[in-house]
Amino acid sequence: TSSHVQSDAFNIFSCQLCDLRSPYSYYGQKPPNTRAIVLLEECFVTKDPFSPDREKFLILGSECSLCRKRVCVGSDCSLFYTKRFCMECVNKHLNQFPHQIQAELAKKKPPRDPKSVQR
Amino acid sequence: MDSDDNRNWDWDSSNCRAQLDEVFFRRHDYIQAGSPEHREFWAFFDRFQSFKMKRDMSGLATSRDEMSREDRRRKISSETVDLGLPKEYDARYRINLSVCTRDVEERLGVSKHASRHRSSGPGNQEISDCRVALLHFLDFTQRQSFIKLAKLRRDQKNLPIFQYRDKIVDLIRLHPVVVVAGDTGCGKSTQVPQYLLSAGFSHIACTQPRRIACISLAKRVSFESLNQFGSKVGHQIRFETTRTKATKLLFLTEGLLLRQIQHDRTLAQYQVVIVDEVHERHLHCDFLLGVLRTLVAERPDLRLILMSATINIKLFSDYFRSAPVLQVPGRLFPIQVTYQPIPPEEQASRSEKMDPRPYLRILQGIDQRYPPEERGDLLIFLSGLAEISTIQEACQIYATHTRRWIVLPLHSTLSLAQQDKVFDISPTGVRKCIISTNIAETSVTIDGVRFVVDSGKVKEMSFDPKAKMQRLQEFWISRASSEQRKGRAGRTGPGVCYRLYAESDYDAFAPYPVPEIHRVSLDSLILQMKSMDLGDPLSFVFIDPPPAASIQTAITYLKEQGALDRRGELTSIGSLLAQLPVDVVIGKMLVLGSLFNLVESVLTVAAALSVQSPFLRSSQHNPDCATARQSLHSNQGDPFTLLNTFNAWVEIKGERGGGSRKWCRRRGLEEQRLYEMVNLRRQFKDLLKDHGLLESNFSTSSDGDRGQRRERLTERKKLHQMKRDHEQHESTKRKVLKMNEGQDEFSSGSDTEKTGRGKKDKKGSGSNVDIQEVKFKLRHNMSELQDAVSVSQDLSSRQQALLKLLLCRGLYPQMALPDEHNTSRKDSDQVFHTKNKQGVVMHPTSVFATDPEVLLVPEEESRDTEANKRESSRHQLLAFVTLLETNRPYLTNCVRVPALQTLLLVANTIDSNADCTRLVVDGWLELELRNPEEALKVLSSALTLRAEWERLLLAQLDHNTSRGESTQGVSRKTTEKLSEGLVRYLMYTEVIYSLRRITALQMQNLYIGPQTESGLSNLKSPGLGSLSPGTEAKPDPIKGGLQVTSFFTYNCLADSRDLYSECLRTFWACPNCDLYMPLTPLERMQHETSCRPAGEQQQEAEPESGQKSSSGMSSLSRVYHCDICNKDLTLTSTEILKHKRQHMYSANN
Ligand SMILES: [Zn+2]
Ligand SMILES: [Zn+2]
Repeated sequence: TSSHVQSDAFNIFSCQLCDLRSPYSYYGQKPPNTRAIVLLEECFVTKDPFSPDREKFLILGSECSLCRKRVCVGSDCSLFYTKRFCMECVNKHLNQFPHQIQAELAKKKPPRDPKSVQR
Repeated sequence: MDSDDNRNWDWDSSNCRAQLDEVFFRRHDYIQAGSPEHREFWAFFDRFQSFKMKRDMSGLATSRDEMSREDRRRKISSETVDLGLPKEYDARYRINLSVCTRDVEERLGVSKHASRHRSSGPGNQEISDCRVALLHFLDFTQRQSFIKLAKLRRDQKNLPIFQYRDKIVDLIRLHPVVVVAGDTGCGKSTQVPQYLLSAGFSHIACTQPRRIACISLAKRVSFESLNQFGSKVGHQIRFETTRTKATKLLFLTEGLLLRQIQHDRTLAQYQVVIVDEVHERHLHCDFLLGVLRTLVAERPDLRLILMSATINIKLFSDYFRSAPVLQVPGRLFPIQVTYQPIPPEEQASRSEKMDPRPYLRILQGIDQRYPPEERGDLLIFLSGLAEISTIQEACQIYATHTRRWIVLPLHSTLSLAQQDKVFDISPTGVRKCIISTNIAETSVTIDGVRFVVDSGKVKEMSFDPKAKMQRLQEFWISRASSEQRKGRAGRTGPGVCYRLYAESDYDAFAPYPVPEIHRVSLDSLILQMKSMDLGDPLSFVFIDPPPAASIQTAITYLKEQGALDRRGELTSIGSLLAQLPVDVVIGKMLVLGSLFNLVESVLTVAAALSVQSPFLRSSQHNPDCATARQSLHSNQGDPFTLLNTFNAWVEIKGERGGGSRKWCRRRGLEEQRLYEMVNLRRQFKDLLKDHGLLESNFSTSSDGDRGQRRERLTERKKLHQMKRDHEQHESTKRKVLKMNEGQDEFSSGSDTEKTGRGKKDKKGSGSNVDIQEVKFKLRHNMSELQDAVSVSQDLSSRQQALLKLLLCRGLYPQMALPDEHNTSRKDSDQVFHTKNKQGVVMHPTSVFATDPEVLLVPEEESRDTEANKRESSRHQLLAFVTLLETNRPYLTNCVRVPALQTLLLVANTIDSNADCTRLVVDGWLELELRNPEEALKVLSSALTLRAEWERLLLAQLDHNTSRGESTQGVSRKTTEKLSEGLVRYLMYTEVIYSLRRITALQMQNLYIGPQTESGLSNLKSPGLGSLSPGTEAKPDPIKGGLQVTSFFTYNCLADSRDLYSECLRTFWACPNCDLYMPLTPLERMQHETSCRPAGEQQQEAEPESGQKSSSGMSSLSRVYHCDICNKDLTLTSTEILKHKRQHMYSANN
């Protein structure tokens, strides 16, 4: 929609899977004032709105390393395992992920499905 | 790994941890040692270590890992893409951050060797363990914040208004005025401002009818717009603001926006104005809409959004030239409505108490029909406090018996702590039964209500312009209110609404409540309109114009108060009053008080009279509270009791700080009101300073040595931290109610005291700080306040007399006369009369209700001459703040004053007979003085004092309007002399007189009426003229007699004996000059006002002599044409008299 175009003008990050939207102030691997901390992927970053400390940052999301979709870091939308994968790609290549992750996803799925049907 | 090191390393040792802090948490690091996050990290570290320990011990991890690796290898071969994931699972791979500390490690020389030498330093393993824990901690905090953000966004999306987001923004871009209508729960108040913010609008003002909503909305919206710790979203209310230059969205009250328009007529500071809750139709809101309506035409770039419940939307749209309306459905669960009209035998007659049976039946019904494990509370709407306590009492008995209910009252006169209880949670199996006034209809929203009982009644304050009286009356509610009440049952799930009236009653209800503008006195509104230069209030286009009569009443009142002149234009005092955000009466007191050396006391009294009484009604019958309060009482009047209370409170705060809470509880005082008073007092003081009425010469808090200053600074820092901490933890405290909650009111006084204290002390010792105390300390300079209080403490009787006079002049014409038969009545049956209302009684909370004797004329000093004509020098009147009618008309906040002295000094009109022994004040009180000599003296002194008072007041006000120029304010010396004179007059005037009301019959023949030309010629003779130089006394066209000053008309009273007495001259010797001759009463008064004691004359005359040379004529002398000499003579008034006398003697001789 047209509002997506607009979002960019205001530096708005939006997740292509869940449509979560929030303004970001930095994109990259070394947000300002993070000292020894380095991000292992290029991220959309903002000031942590829930911390009174101005220097605390919050990672909103990044690009899927496979399909290049912009996704948020929410566990319903993406997963980081040495690289960022959107949930669509994770599901496509599920068997390449360690069983710990597979088990975790399997556990999460059943209660989620009927809920999403309800909505 | 070196085993030696391991043995020496102790994770629990603070020393060891401090060494790791040197690596990871240095001064410039993301997390710094000593910060809250740092503490959280080490707590996390402990959890993390024990988690790792458990996992390692279970030992399952590795074997499964092997298997899965096998699995994976097999499958990859068949796929197209290899993701290149590591062979072995490690939770660290799931973290998208790393922490580089190589540089520090190297500098510290962390290595096996180094650590072996020092044997206690961290080795590589420790560093690595700590780093892993830190990574997990960072990941954990990221996750937590993100979950919050995601939940917030999800909740926003789930609001009904969300889908209209783009539509709303588009409409606002296209139209200057848009109406957004949506019911409770649709999210308009929180979301629409945010939609505007994210669409790029800034400088947004959003008005609210209630202060508390400004604060809570600003808090909520700043959280939702992720600006919780910034100032992008702020609020501004009477005492406080969080607005900064960075503020883009401001929540403020309607009244405050109106005040801003006074200074910024086109509201240039805003791009968008949102007026929320317009359907509530508050006075300020209706007026604001009228002002904005013209503003929109002037400022095409301004955007105006009206937000309303879905009530009467067309009215608003039409008022703004068919502005587009966007209607948003609310989110309410279905509510089942049951009509249960009260049977005739259970209906209370006017005098009786309410019958609680219909209400008890509903409680019973709920208990029978709904299992206790199905949660859901009950909300009962009643009309007033008496009704609430009746039903509460009955329900409490039922609740104690069944143990299934906790009964809680809710109304605005409860203490805030008690009000807050309705938000607490009841234990399982127990329901809350909240018994409320209509406060819970809109102002207070309680979640979890499933059942609503609607009595269909409301008590509303209305203003009776004829009696000038506030009236609290019970009415049927409107259909709109009825729906609103019903809706309260369906906020969190399906609900039930019991209406204690018939469906036919409902159909007969008015569709909407009567807007405030039709019910209240319009004084402040009209004053504000005048000062905003909005032209004739009668032709202003209101959305729903108030009756012309009520506008007229307000104009008359403002004229009486001196805020408007005879032509209806603002006077200088009026324009000042318009800028003070208080009642005209209170504003007047402040201005008057600033003239004299009584500012501190007047500030306190004005503040005290502007807030709700701090004395809790519930403690009124508590004997312990009554005893503890005794020392605060003043039999001078309620304002003095309030003054004492405030002073004592400040003193206690100085001594014990937070201990004042206990002090207040023991006396049945709501401390919150005292906090409000101290804030308001401060605001008044600032206003007076801003308007140049008060010198701001106080050598502020910067004095004291450097050490003290530093100490204060550290304390302030600490206080700010406490405030922040409190704000962060505020939302997380919802207590579970105890079964006996809400019963306090019925237990005997001493018990309440003890249990209350125990509870609070426990609270106080914990983390729960007294936030009011913290805010108080931040806002006020204790020592400055103590100084101010010590000045107004233990007022001398002279100061007291002057303070009373100031209050009276502010309150005038709100005066009441004790009935002449009060002496023979019981204490509780004392009756009073005001000009417009007869037979009013003292409000039971007044000090005079318990101590009415002080109002009686002392028997031994009075004597009855004729029937109803008691002579004494000690008659008293009451000045009161409000006349309020509930079941009876009550006087509230009274102060007693000496009648004659006060009347002569403050009355709007004084009419006299020829020898001034008979005076009529404002056409309703008659004073008869026995001795003509005394009468003249007392009247002329009053005229002199008033002239001087007026002169100084004008000088003060002029000084204030032409500030910055070299005009001099009123000197301390002159005001001291005046106050000395006033006090002497008030305290030492001993004249015998009678005081009574004028009957309607007397009123008909009160005045002589207009006189013929020949009759006037004698009066017109020059020299007998005005007491204020420059204005000639002229005959009064209606009453007859001579208008001597704006308030005094001489010899206009029809009175058998005085038709000629004005011509009767008696010999009189002036005490100040050598004049000794026969004078008429008026001539004598005239001489007295212009002749001052020798010493005084000198200094007063000096500046005048300068004028004389420039204008060629002294203001004291005038051109007098003597008919007998047929010459124009330039003479002073006294000289004219002497001159005339010469002819008289020669003629007689
Ligand atoms: Zn997402
Ligand atoms: Zn993908």
